[in-house]
Formats: sequence, structure tokens, C-alpha cells
Amino acid sequence: MQDAENVAVPEAAEERAEPGQQQPAAEPPPDEGCCGPRGPALRRRQGQRPLVRRWRSRRPGRSRRARPRESGLGTSAPTAGAQAASEDAGGNEGSAAEAEPRALENGDADEPSFSDPEDFVDDVSEEELLGDVLKDRPQEADGIDSVIVVDNVPQVGPDRLEKLKNVIHKIFSKFGKITNDFYPEEDGKTKGYIFLEYASPAHAVDAVKNADGYKLDKQHTFRVNLFTDFDKYMTISDEWDIPEKQPFKDLGNLRYWLEEAECRDQYSVIFESGDRTSIFWNDVKDPVSIEERARWTETYVRWSPKGTYLATFHQRGIALWGGEKFKQIQRFSHQGVQLIDFSPCERYLVTFSPLMDTQDDPQAIIIWDILTGHKKRGFHCESSAHWPIFKWSHDGKFFARMTLDTLSIYETPSMGLLDKKSLKISGIKDFSWSPGGNIIAFWVPEDKDIPARVTLMQLPTRQEIRVRNLFNVVDCKLHWQKNGDYLCVKVDRTPKGTQGVVTNFEIFRMREKQVPVDVVEMKETIIAFAWEPNGSKFAVLHGEAPRISVSFYHVKNNGKIELIKMFDKQQANTIFWSPQGQFVVLAGLRSMNGALAFVDTSDCTVMNIAEHYMASDVEWDPTGRYVVTSVSWWSHKVDNAYWLWTFQGRLLQKNNKDRFCQLLWRPRPPTLLSQEQIKQIKKDLKKYSKIFEQKDRLSQSKASKELVERRRTMMEDFRKYRKMAQELYMEQKNERLELRGGVDTDELDSNVDDWEEETIEFFVTEEIIPLGNQE
Amino acid sequence: MKPILLQGHERSITQIKYNREGDLLFTVAKDPIVNVWYSVNGERLGTYMGHTGAVWCVDADWDTKHVLTGSADNSCRLWDCETGKQLALLKTNSAVRTCGFDFGGNIIMFSTDKQMGYQCFVSFFDLRDPSQIDNNEPYMKIPCNDSKITSAVWGPLGECIIAGHESGELNQYSAKLFDSTTLEHQKTFRTERPVNSAALSPNYDHVVLGGGQEAMDVTTTSTRIGKFEARFFHLAFEEEFGRVKGHFGPINSVAFHPDGKSYSSGGEDGYVRIHYFDPQYFEFEFEA
Repeated sequence: MQDAENVAVPEAAEERAEPGQQQPAAEPPPDEGCCGPRGPALRRRQGQRPLVRRWRSRRPGRSRRARPRESGLGTSAPTAGAQAASEDAGGNEGSAAEAEPRALENGDADEPSFSDPEDFVDDVSEEELLGDVLKDRPQEADGIDSVIVVDNVPQVGPDRLEKLKNVIHKIFSKFGKITNDFYPEEDGKTKGYIFLEYASPAHAVDAVKNADGYKLDKQHTFRVNLFTDFDKYMTISDEWDIPEKQPFKDLGNLRYWLEEAECRDQYSVIFESGDRTSIFWNDVKDPVSIEERARWTETYVRWSPKGTYLATFHQRGIALWGGEKFKQIQRFSHQGVQLIDFSPCERYLVTFSPLMDTQDDPQAIIIWDILTGHKKRGFHCESSAHWPIFKWSHDGKFFARMTLDTLSIYETPSMGLLDKKSLKISGIKDFSWSPGGNIIAFWVPEDKDIPARVTLMQLPTRQEIRVRNLFNVVDCKLHWQKNGDYLCVKVDRTPKGTQGVVTNFEIFRMREKQVPVDVVEMKETIIAFAWEPNGSKFAVLHGEAPRISVSFYHVKNNGKIELIKMFDKQQANTIFWSPQGQFVVLAGLRSMNGALAFVDTSDCTVMNIAEHYMASDVEWDPTGRYVVTSVSWWSHKVDNAYWLWTFQGRLLQKNNKDRFCQLLWRPRPPTLLSQEQIKQIKKDLKKYSKIFEQKDRLSQSKASKELVERRRTMMEDFRKYRKMAQELYMEQKNERLELRGGVDTDELDSNVDDWEEETIEFFVTEEIIPLGNQE
Repeated sequence: MKPILLQGHERSITQIKYNREGDLLFTVAKDPIVNVWYSVNGERLGTYMGHTGAVWCVDADWDTKHVLTGSADNSCRLWDCETGKQLALLKTNSAVRTCGFDFGGNIIMFSTDKQMGYQCFVSFFDLRDPSQIDNNEPYMKIPCNDSKITSAVWGPLGECIIAGHESGELNQYSAKLFDSTTLEHQKTFRTERPVNSAALSPNYDHVVLGGGQEAMDVTTTSTRIGKFEARFFHLAFEEEFGRVKGHFGPINSVAFHPDGKSYSSGGEDGYVRIHYFDPQYFEFEFEA
């Protein structure tokens, strides 16, 4: 039950103090791949050193002035100084320059003297006072960090030395001005390595980055290193310390919830506008609370894809919770994190924060190892693409991102570029992994005479298994069926000679040889498309409001796509298939007032039509037994509630929660049963259903018994109370009679003798309407 | 059950009340008219004209001789029920919020708002002493210093009054049932909308609540979302068993007919609706 925020503090502080230890895998060039022999520690050094020096040379003595006592500023100075200094270290010189005069100005103002008395002994060390500033304190430099060492240079005699120098100069002056060079010689021949000095350390870093691995000819491939690195590696101890064994942390059975006897599912609920988060067992009668915490998350929560972890969001980073008591399992410090994504295998976590990125240390997107909690790699985020920016292959072996004209595929666990290079695909618009195999689908739009193209590529071989050319394309959307059996490319086209947009559904049958493609054309506006998760049907919502229709298609084995059924006049804008297929909920969310239609697609019957007024979300439980519709406070401010329905559309519960925000079902890992076993169960379903029905009856009668029992006791209490009140009432009868002049008014007709007959006439207007005219 | 719609007010209804026998229904609204209707068919029997401001409250005595109304025109008026003649005009310093006859019909009580620099007072007049009315001098006046009275009723035998205050603990979102002699909290009926009025059935263990989305928010919400429904709860189980739709504004006042066979509701929409229950209502029973 630890508060995530409290726990996160020490780690964050620690990380700031020793950045090198925490992030050993930081690589400066994000898109370069991790080739080359250089160790990770070495690269860090390249990234930092030059900046520090530049800083020092331009602003000597800055850090001293920022110290509080000398500036005579009292408490405000250290913060201003710290801010300025840290900004400066990040390379932002402008703001640092601004901050400095401000500090001085304040110091000059007429203020009471804050100077220390003469006998004052300072008992606070500077390290304690401004450790974070001192960390960036300028260090002495002697200029050797502008020097690089180049190995594998051809060994030549004096006759060819001049020529070699020319060649070297030509290659290396690309990165900056070479101020000095040295070619060590032995027995009249160069030794095969040389030293070059640049005008600035930045040039040296640049040279190392770009010229390392340069192929001069077949025999000579340059190895370029910073001279200072030699120093560093010389000081490394030869003795290897056995790393301390980490004590094994027993987190208990993280999948305990799957062992529940009733096979109930769990879900998380955020309510009170995000202040409280609860986990419930879903139960037909009433949800059973498992855990409720205040301020568990600062924004929202996410379940991992197999349901093992619950991720909560905090200003400082992400915390993962799990196990029976929802203890904290792991935390990832990423300031200002906004979005996360799990790898499908639950091994890696991708986090995004807009705050942390710096030029030489990519931190906008970080990939973490969930088991160890270590950062695997950081990335820049240049373009504002849709989240997730990195898309994972189904097994978590690869992940890919798209940038301008480039598709970069990385592999785990090295986090390096697959085959060390990205794919150049000019004009690539979108890509998507198959959920059933390591196949990537991407499309490029038309470019003058070259048609638009959808390509399926096998990985890691990069073999193109299918290319489909398309004409007059406006837009494409890639929709994979959940098993990866089919891919539907929804193509919006403007065919020549026609007005308006026509939509083609290009259905790729992935499991067949050569991947045959069939097309369904639709002239109406497409509102939504969705595949049946475990099947070969798909549903399309089309038309213009209020004339919206839903069509169900079936992809047959021979490739024929058959329209099974079309329902018109639907009030729907979203399709929600049951995770098990067959059943589907068509929902008219938000502007369509929350109309719901429950459809069984096996025989295409509408099982129920219902409404959850103003519903904003529909969530199927992972087993496909229940559906939850909800009105989230995030989209609508009143009537925030979630309703539980059966898959047939029978309303089971209305759960009103104050300022309810979000309900998420806990996902289940894929079943361990084989196809045969599932078939067998389906065959024996009658046997099981008998058992279940009996169980249901038992629990139902128990429930109604409980209810009746409760009502009985309430009624008993109430009767007692009423008897007491009636006795009191009877006691007062005489008083009442007295007050009303002896007239008994206890019953409506108790003073019937006093009644006066009164005849009241009412006006009745008569109007004759001939019936014939009505039609 | 098709309701009888009473259209006699131009502004929102503030209070409705049956007389003891239930043959008449008195309605007051934020217009100056006081209406009286036959509850059996909704025909208007007459009006009591004289007020010049919104009328907040109405009451009739036990034998329906007199009618008492309190208004925002700073007056409380006593009428002859049958002729509609104004019998007394009691001037006050601020709006009259609530009024009532005692059990015997001899003593009247009304409370005034804390308004325009005047205190909130509860005044008592004895109708048997005409001089009190002539001089506009109540025989008793209770000042109420802290927060104003929004609602007041006589105790069972006129030995006390029970007042609800603006700062009262009464939860706006629920109706609570209190024992009238001991003031003990008995039951709570929960709704998701503010409750403005509640009434007990005289012969069934039922309570009806009227309310809905606050009037000031109504223009921004549709009727479906406002939930302007009369809601029926079981008195002992606190369970809801029925709703009656119809108003397109929040319900300000509900009242059961003394025979329990019908009830009426008056809403912010200016309509009064008399509903006669269907047979199913009387057959319905909770399993217990």
C-alpha cells in the first residue's frame, strides 16, 4: 500500500545525481543502430564533455556567483541559480544569460543586510546545498578532448606519407578544422595509427560518430576513438567483481485472478473525477470490491495486454501494480509521462513524455524492461504522430516506427535496428503488424504515374510476399483480423468519371498461397468497419444519418465474399464485436444518445434493442459474456454510471458512481487449451450447461432469499414503529375531538352524518367527429 | 392512467394541497392567482384574486371553511373558501414563505423570509380573537436569527411547529422521513436528482418524491436527462418501484389524495397533473 509518489522520490533524486549509472544504454544517434565496437559508457562521455567545456569558457566563475551567501539574496538565489545552471547545461544559453543579470540585480537592491556575522562558521557543505548544481560544475580541461585516434590506417613509408596525409585530411576535415596531426613512425614506416586534433571537441565527437567504421579499402577499415577514452579505459580495474546477487522478490502468483472458482473477471473503475480507483470482481448480482484507493493514479490507468499488471500514471512516471493485494511491482521514472504502451508479450513498456527530451540524450520515448525496471533505450520524438508511435509485432520480437519516407524496425532484446538499417519507403503513409505473424503491411500513396501500393512484407527476411497496386486512391486504412487470418484494406477512391468517393474493401486472405485478394465495393459513406475477432465475418456501418445501415459479410473459403444480412435504419456509429466473435453490439455513442443493438450474427437476429442514454463507452469483458456501457464524466457531466448487460442485451445492473470516469476490464492471457480441447468442450456444452444452470439457480434463490429476509426484517421494524405511533395516535383521540368541536375526522367517512349532499354539474362539451374523414 | 392536466397558472407551481376530504385541490404558483379545482375531474371551481406577487404557500383548514395563502407581495391572506371573499389581509415586512392552520383550524401560523433587512419571523394569530387580525398583531412572534425557514408544518395536534431551515441538514438529493413527535430520522430514499417535495400515501406504505434537475440548469438539459419524474418508493424498504413521467420541468410539489387513489404534482413547467392510479398500482406488492 505504498503511495507511488512517495516511493518515487528517492529514485528520481538518485538518478539525477548519477546519470551515467542509471542509463547505461543511452545512445546518442537514435536512428543509427547499435553497431560498432564502442562501449556504452564511452558514448555518454562524448555526449557530455564538449558541452561542459564550452559553458565554462564563455562564462567563467558563474557558479560561484550563484551561491546563496555571496549573492546576499537569501533563499531565492539558489533556486534561480540552480535553474539557470541546469538550463545552461542543457545547452540553452539564452535563458541562462537572462537569469544571471536577474540574480545580480536583486543582490544590488536596497535590502537589509543578510550578510553573515564575521564569526559565522558555515556548517553546510556546498555539496549538500546545491548538489544538483555542482554536478554540472565546470571541470578543468586541457584540450585533449579535441583529439581523436584513428586505427587501421595504412602503414606507409616516407615516400607515400604525403599522399596518405592528403587522403586522411580529405576524409577528416569534413567534421571540422584539423589543427594538428601526428603520424607516429617506426623504422621509417608509419605505425598504422594516427592522432588528429580538431579545433573543438564537438568536431572530434562528430568525427568519431561518423568516421568510425569507414572503409578506406578492403584491408583498412578505420576505427576512430576519442583520445580521452583511452584514459577512461585505462583506469578500469582488471578485476571483475561478481555483481551482488539481488534478493529474489516473491511477488506471489501474479495470475491468481485466473484461478477464481467462479471464473469471474475483474475490472478497474475510476470515479470521483479521477480521485478514486477501484478494482471489482464482476458478479451478476453486485460487483464485489477487491481494492479501492484514493489518488491511485493522477490521470488514468491501463492494464497490460495479458492482464498481469495495472499501470498508474504519475507526474514522476509509471507504477505497475499486481498480485493479490495489488502491491507495487515496478516503477519507471519518466517525468511528465503522458502515454504508455505495453509490448504484447508484457516484457517491455514504452513511455512517452513531452518534457524530458534533450538533444544528446533522447528521452521523449523510453523503452523499459518490465522485469528488471531498467531503461532499455530512449528515442527522440520529432513528429507528432499517432500513439502508439512504436508498433509491436505480435510476439514482441520486433517493434517499428514510421518517419518521413522511412520505416525503422528494431529488434528485441538488443533494441537495435534490424539488420542495422531502416527501410527507405518514400511516401509511406501508414503501416501495421499482423497480429498473427511477423508480417508488416504498409501503403504508399500515388506519386504521379506510380500507382498507390499496399505491400505485405515478411520479417525479418524483408521479403515482399504481396504487393497490390491501387488507383485513384484518396486514403487507405489497414484493418487486421485479430488472428491475422485476413487483412482488410479500406480504400477510399475517386474513380475517373465519377463524382464522390467510393470505398473498396480489399480483403487479403493471409493463410492462402500467394495471398489472394478480393474486393467489396461500396458507394455509400463508411462510418465504421470491424472484423469478427475469431472468425471470417466483418461488419460495416454505412450511409448518412439518419439513414444508416449495417451490413454483415462473410469471407468464404473459396474467397467469395457474401453479404449475409443488412439492417437499415440503424442508430449506430460504432461496432463492438464480442472478443469471442459471433455477437456484436452496435452502439450510437454520444451524439446518437447511446442507442444499443445486440446482434447475433450466426443467424443475424437482433436479440435486443436498448438504450443507455448519452453512453460514451462500450466495453466487452474478455470472455464475451458481459458488456458494459458507460457514461464517462470525461465526456458528459451528469448521470455518470456504468451498466452491465449480458451478451444478449439483458440489463443486469445499473451502477451509479459519482463522477464516474472509466471502466476497464482486466484482460486475460490467451487460452492454454488446444483447438481440439475447445472443440470437445463445445461438443459437451450441454453437460456443462446443466451444471451451470443448477449453480445459477442456487445462487439466485439464495439471493432472493437474502433480499426477502432483509425486507422482512425491515418490515418488522417498521411495523413495530407504526404500532407505537398508532398507539400514541389513539391516545390523542379525545384531544383531537375536542379541537375540532367534537367532529370525528379520523377517517375520511367517520363524520358521514355531517355530510351535506351536493350536486355538482359539469359542463361537457360535445363534439361530433365523423369517423370517415379521419383516414 | 391518463393524467388530468390543470392549466390555470402562467408561472411555475409553488405548492399544491388537497383539502381534508380530497374533493378540492388548491394550487398556487409564482403568478398572483390562487386556484381551486375539483380533484375528481380537474374542473376549476374558482380563484382567489387579490395577491400582487408570487404566491409561495397555501393551506386549507380541516372543514374547508377557510383558505390561507402567503405571498411574496408581503402579505398573508385569509379567504372564505366557498365565496372567495378575502377575510383578512395580514401585512408583513417580507415575503411569506410558508403558512398553515393548526389541527383545530383556529390558529394560523406563517413564516416570513429574511429579506430586505428584515428578520425571519414565525407569526401566530388566533382567529377567535378578531382584534389580532384587525390590529395585525400576532399573539406570538418567534424571531429566527440564523437561517431562514423554508418550510414549516404544525405538529400533530397543534402543540408545536416543525420547521426546516435553509441551512438544514436535509440532503438535497434524497428525501428523508422523520418521526414527527420525536424528530428521529427513519428512512432515506435515494435519487440521483434533487428532490423538491415528497408525500406519504394515506393507505399504502408508499412515498412519492417529486424533483428533477435544478430549474436553473433546465434550459441546458433535455427532459430525458432532467428526470422530471415522480418516483414511488416503498416506505419501509426504501426501494423504488415506479415512476411517472410527464412534466417537462422539475416537480415542485406533490400531494396524495386523502383516499390514496390518486396523487397530484405541480411543476416548474406551470402545470398541475392529477393522476389516478391504475389497478396494477393497488395490486403491486413487494415479495416479503
